[in-house]
Amino acid sequence: MNTRSKLLLLSVCVLVSATLCAQSLKVPDRVTAGTSISIPTSGSGEATLYLFGPAHVAKRKVQLGQSIELAGDDLRDAGHYTVVLKGGGADSSTSFFVTASKVDDVAFLARPSRVPASRPGVITGSAFTFDAYQNLELQPTPVTFTLSVEGAPEIKRTETTKNGVAWTRLDSGKKVGAAKFVASAGDASTTRVVQQVAADPCNIRMKAQRTNRGAIEVVTDPIRDCSGNAVPDGTIVTFTSVDASGKSTVDSRIKRGIARAELPSSNNALISVASGVVMGNEIHWGGKQ
Amino acid sequence: MKNSFSSGIGISLAAALILLFVLASLPPWLIAAADANTVKIDASAAQPRQVEDATVQAIQRDYGRAWQTLSQALSENRANLLNSSFVGIANDKLTRAVNEQRKEGLRRKYIDKSHKVEIVFYSAEGSALQLRDTVQIEIQLLDGDKVVHTENATRHYIALMTPTENSWKVRVFEAVPGA
Repeated sequence: MNTRSKLLLLSVCVLVSATLCAQSLKVPDRVTAGTSISIPTSGSGEATLYLFGPAHVAKRKVQLGQSIELAGDDLRDAGHYTVVLKGGGADSSTSFFVTASKVDDVAFLARPSRVPASRPGVITGSAFTFDAYQNLELQPTPVTFTLSVEGAPEIKRTETTKNGVAWTRLDSGKKVGAAKFVASAGDASTTRVVQQVAADPCNIRMKAQRTNRGAIEVVTDPIRDCSGNAVPDGTIVTFTSVDASGKSTVDSRIKRGIARAELPSSNNALISVASGVVMGNEIHWGGKQ
Repeated sequence: MKNSFSSGIGISLAAALILLFVLASLPPWLIAAADANTVKIDASAAQPRQVEDATVQAIQRDYGRAWQTLSQALSENRANLLNSSFVGIANDKLTRAVNEQRKEGLRRKYIDKSHKVEIVFYSAEGSALQLRDTVQIEIQLLDGDKVVHTENATRHYIALMTPTENSWKVRVFEAVPGA
């Protein structure tokens, strides 16, 4: 055997022995967050273990031939982990994913915080499911959205998460009040409050009478929206009187459910009332009503 | 005249060589970071709200910037850099990673070569946006300056972004198994 052949044979031997010595680290493809795992090693002597995770890294000496224990605390954060073993002729690496454990928390975005009653599709909610370690739970999970206000039937809808997110769009209820908007998944739930307020007045009825001073006093009936909710005090109601001398307008705020105003004296006027875009009845003062 | 023309060419050549040298000596993440075209965004499947063009551009800019920040923070072990692009859970976790790396004398280099981003969720009121990203990436894990592991990989990430005063920031950031 010449020198060249000997060298070639030696190279092959070194390569084969290195291959035989190399560790084959066996880990599960996926590990649930917070679960410990054990990685068997072969050979003897000491090596350095490196663990690179999304939020946790570690470097420590390990004894080859013994199993490497990764505690649940090492594997709390969902994501990709790389394990590298260096030294002792046992250089090797492997990787695996940690996935979220069961749902423990629901992050809930609800809009708007104040909404008119009986409006279709006006309330939206987005729920994000997390486990106890703040990992997004990516497994499809049913999320139940409920909207309830005291004294009215509950509105309920269930949606399944996709990529950890579920969303819904709901009509506002007919009754005014602080509505509880709840998103729940498993044992976890989060509540938001949506204030349902009366919508625009449904119709406005007014009466007119002459005051002692000769002016015209106009008073509405209780002003309600189309679901029968009292329109909130403070809402502006505009009274207008048109006669031969011109136009008079008085803005009045609803107080204890009704609006009232005093218009200038007139013998023959057309009086109207409105709030926002809603017109009320008209009165022909001094003529036929 | 001829002499001044020749010396002009000489100066230009020298300047070009210096520029080439400077570029060659820059860390890879800085060169990659300069290329905004590495982030391709598809917003056609977003639910429940359609993503406005201006928002797509903002996400392209801010998500790309978040990767630059991430690469630099993990490479140089500087947690304070993260605040410009990450908030909430993502910021907490990455800060922990950087602090533990520094404590152990470890570093990691992410050289992200391309991002194929799909916006999958955009909340009705526009306050949250979720994306899936398929990244072509080179990863180097270092003990001090010694590379202990290197790999070229395709990785999948899920990110949840929320708007702040003048940009979008990453609130949740997780590597996920491929589909």
